[in-house]
Amino acid sequence: MLENLTIEQTSKLLNSKKASALEITSHYLKKVSDANKLNCFITVSEDHAIKAAIQTDNRISKNKKIGLLDGVPLAYKDLFCTNEILTTASSKILSNFIPTYESTVTSNCQKEGAIVLGKLNCDEFAMGSTNKTSFYGPVINPWKSNESDEDLVPGGSSGGSAASVAADLCIASLGTDTGGSIRQPASFTGLVGLKPSYGRVSRWGVVAFASSLDQAGPICKTVEDASILLEAISGHDKKDSTSSIEPNEHFYKNLNSSVKDLKIGIPKEYLSDDLPEEIQGYWNEGKKILSENGAEIVEISLPSTKTALPAYYIIAPAEASSNLSRYDGVRYGLRVKGENLTEMYELTRSEGFGDEVKRRIMMGTYVLSSGYYDAYYIKAQKVRSIIKSDFDLAFKSVDAIFTPTTPNTAFPISKEELDPVQNYLNDIFTVPANLAGLPAISIPFGLSKSGLPIGMQLITNTFKEQTLLNIAKNLQDSINFNIYPNQWWK
Amino acid sequence: MIEFNKKITLKLAKLSRLSLSNSQLENLEKDLTSILSFIDQLKEINTDSIDPTSNSLDQNLILRDDLAEDVLSNEKLLQNVPESELGFFVVPKVIE
Amino acid sequence: MNSEWQTVIGIEIHAQINSKSKLFSSSSTEFGSAPNTQVSLVDAAMPGMLPVINKFCIEQAVKSGIGLNAKINKKSIFDRKNYFYQDLPQGYQISQFKDPIVGSGSIEIEIDGTKKAIGIERLHLEQDAGKSLHDQDPNLTFVDLNRSGIALMEIVSDPDMASPEEAVAYVKKVRSILRYLDTCDGNMEQGSLRADINVSVRKKGESLGTRCELKNLNSFKHITSAINFEVARQIKIIENGEEIKQETRLYDVSSDTTKSMRSKEDAHDYRYFPDPDLLPLNLDEKWIEKIKNELPELPDEKKDRFITQYKISNYDAEVLTSDRQTSEYFEEVISNRNPKLVVSWVASELFAALNKENLSIENSPVNSKQLGELIDEIEKGTISNRAAKEVFEEMCVSKKSVQEIINDKGLIQISDTSEIEKFINQVLVDNPINVEKYKNGKTKLLGFFIGEVMKVTKGKANPGLLNQIVKKKLDN
Repeated sequence: MLENLTIEQTSKLLNSKKASALEITSHYLKKVSDANKLNCFITVSEDHAIKAAIQTDNRISKNKKIGLLDGVPLAYKDLFCTNEILTTASSKILSNFIPTYESTVTSNCQKEGAIVLGKLNCDEFAMGSTNKTSFYGPVINPWKSNESDEDLVPGGSSGGSAASVAADLCIASLGTDTGGSIRQPASFTGLVGLKPSYGRVSRWGVVAFASSLDQAGPICKTVEDASILLEAISGHDKKDSTSSIEPNEHFYKNLNSSVKDLKIGIPKEYLSDDLPEEIQGYWNEGKKILSENGAEIVEISLPSTKTALPAYYIIAPAEASSNLSRYDGVRYGLRVKGENLTEMYELTRSEGFGDEVKRRIMMGTYVLSSGYYDAYYIKAQKVRSIIKSDFDLAFKSVDAIFTPTTPNTAFPISKEELDPVQNYLNDIFTVPANLAGLPAISIPFGLSKSGLPIGMQLITNTFKEQTLLNIAKNLQDSINFNIYPNQWWK
Repeated sequence: MIEFNKKITLKLAKLSRLSLSNSQLENLEKDLTSILSFIDQLKEINTDSIDPTSNSLDQNLILRDDLAEDVLSNEKLLQNVPESELGFFVVPKVIE
Repeated sequence: MNSEWQTVIGIEIHAQINSKSKLFSSSSTEFGSAPNTQVSLVDAAMPGMLPVINKFCIEQAVKSGIGLNAKINKKSIFDRKNYFYQDLPQGYQISQFKDPIVGSGSIEIEIDGTKKAIGIERLHLEQDAGKSLHDQDPNLTFVDLNRSGIALMEIVSDPDMASPEEAVAYVKKVRSILRYLDTCDGNMEQGSLRADINVSVRKKGESLGTRCELKNLNSFKHITSAINFEVARQIKIIENGEEIKQETRLYDVSSDTTKSMRSKEDAHDYRYFPDPDLLPLNLDEKWIEKIKNELPELPDEKKDRFITQYKISNYDAEVLTSDRQTSEYFEEVISNRNPKLVVSWVASELFAALNKENLSIENSPVNSKQLGELIDEIEKGTISNRAAKEVFEEMCVSKKSVQEIINDKGLIQISDTSEIEKFINQVLVDNPINVEKYKNGKTKLLGFFIGEVMKVTKGKANPGLLNQIVKKKLDN
């Protein structure tokens, strides 16, 4: 009865008193402790979870008003600061950091009654697409290829957020997405992953990677759950100057699966010879479904597509190099003693940051340094304007854009790229939405020949999340994916 | 194509407050050179007469009223501090 | 100084905005609190913290910009200035680099009646850093972040000044304007207003020399001494055939010299870029107009008005308007009173008393109403000017009213004609020889008779009446 629960199902169970929140929470805590092999959790907040579950049960027994997420066991990427719960960003430099505050997003979840099981592993400071850059070791994808027993990456950076939901260690999770960090792991694990419009969700209390690109969002089993979770976390936050004043919406209540008379754009630049045939196959299947369900499929052009990735790998490291300057061993986090201030800074940061983080800090420092600023940083910001105006133009004629989420499926953890750029190419289809601030969702479509999930991406214009969710639901209901991995880790 | 040499890499490490071993420096030189050649693709794009976008959100900056309402105790402020004295943060002696 | 040399001075003033809360956080700005008790999560740069700008600070910057006759930029951008320092928690300072809130302007300074325009390059908003204490422990530096994040206006001048006197006059004038506008309290001792001074020297007709920056000067005396030392140092170096090194120097009060700042030696690359946590600041034209219309009268306008309205000298008007509080005090006293008398009482007697006790006019022991009452007694003839000084001295130390002091000291002037005549008659009778001499043309002796009467009346005879009556009697 308690297997692979969705938020919707959990609420029904609780409301009909078929199960108590404490029962469900204890069940999930047990699952978490049975899945240590997957390395999804950095911290399990058992005491907090039990306490919150009892509170939900009290509310239900007293017939008090209950929230959107009441009694639902969730887990958060370890990038969200959680009051009095260790928050590490998967980095050694924050490996002892216990915030005295709660991020707006997680606090919104708690206000709706959510139960937090713990904090999820991810790439260090969200930099990566494999979850291999974590100080706490890689997360293991619960999916395995039918061709080999090798451990696979869950994708990243929100690898723990995806793997934990796929393995049903929690009902849904929160991740963050700077260049695809929610959508790519969702795609690698057969889940729904949503990156909201930039500004829809507050960034207050979320460890920053690249401020102008970061957005928090849900990783869920269904589009319905994504709409519930999005509604719970969204809304203007006066503590975040980049929080939109756009009113929050009832995404779940208003969810409908009609795509009739909608125009769906297929950008021709996303098709290349490199794209694996089976991904292409599902892409075509999606077009067919949408068209059969009453949408009009239109070929469009987004000429700037190939400039997005290089622009992203200038902008994101630039912002990151500055955002990560605060980790200096003076006020919190790791400190390595030095003879003088500079030595203390250098030793602390060298020991505290992993290789990928160092690489990006160095790259970011380079593109901002005098003599290179105009050639790289300003150039990239101009390219970003072009990318945004390409999308603006496209959305004059279409309601949504439909593409693959990733150019590949989950690959072995042991696969080492000699060239960091090869890893960066994982983000090729997801990065444009971040640069333009657009909402985008990845939904599971099917399995590859080797039995690994493949996801497809939908993108709509800013603050058109409802349309995005509606189209996603239409596809979900037509495909009826609903496959979970074998629980080999037990 | 620009290549990162040791001098540039060292300068960047210094600016970033990272102390790196020789092998780390060598690896970074190689990685950064590769990343640089990748991002150098942008040089082909004509961006004359285009304004840069530093944030995609099209909205006026929201202003806050001048209220001194945020109070954080010294104890809470220093909850995670690696080293402190008499309510101060402390660092190795700095000579101005 | 050898006259073939010219000094070129440009000044950056850091003026703390008198807001209740910080520029990007809601913690208090109050001076003198216990260390690290006014530090929010944002000020301490905790992970995930974000800046939200203070509206009042923007208004104050715009006001100050208008007061400096400068252009207000309708769009401005906040940038990050990246560098590591123990008192800079974020690892960057939020400042404005390419697009400041206020553009170029100009103000006038006046030295010995000669006016000179000093260009303003820009005014921008930025965060203050925390405070480091180096003398608490032999091996450690202590950091207090109470000041971290407080709003500063950095006002950058053109290199238009040529002497320490001009530099001081400029800083005084800017300070006066900001105090008139009530955007900065101008308190230099508490560090609310500090100046970084760029000094270079060159021989006449030659191009600009290499400059050195003198950091954080917080008194007019230090500005003068630091510039004088620096100019002499630079000239000596050049005359020895050496070159000036561009650097940041610190003025050392105890030795009255400037010293190179070792901590600022590292080559800097601040990597300015627009802060992605903040959007561009767009100002509404109407809002700017509204602020412009609500601006109070500024020192220059007030000075001109004083000269025409009260017919006082340029010098007196300058002295009385250099400070807003002084000018307001003066205008409170002057209503319907004799301007000359009021000027002399405010600018001489009151200033001397304040200087003696090192008090500002806000803390004057004699308020404007009391000084007005005293002047009224002089104008009515109740007391003489000399007696008034005695009363004033007493007012400075006691809480007694003007009337009480006059009565207690018996200082009421004799203004009854018949009584004065009585004293004069006695003096004339006692000095027949001098009366004779006077009548024979030695009219100089008038002073002698007046002096004698004053002697016997202990100075209380109304001098005007006395003069009149003595003359009348002798001339008859």
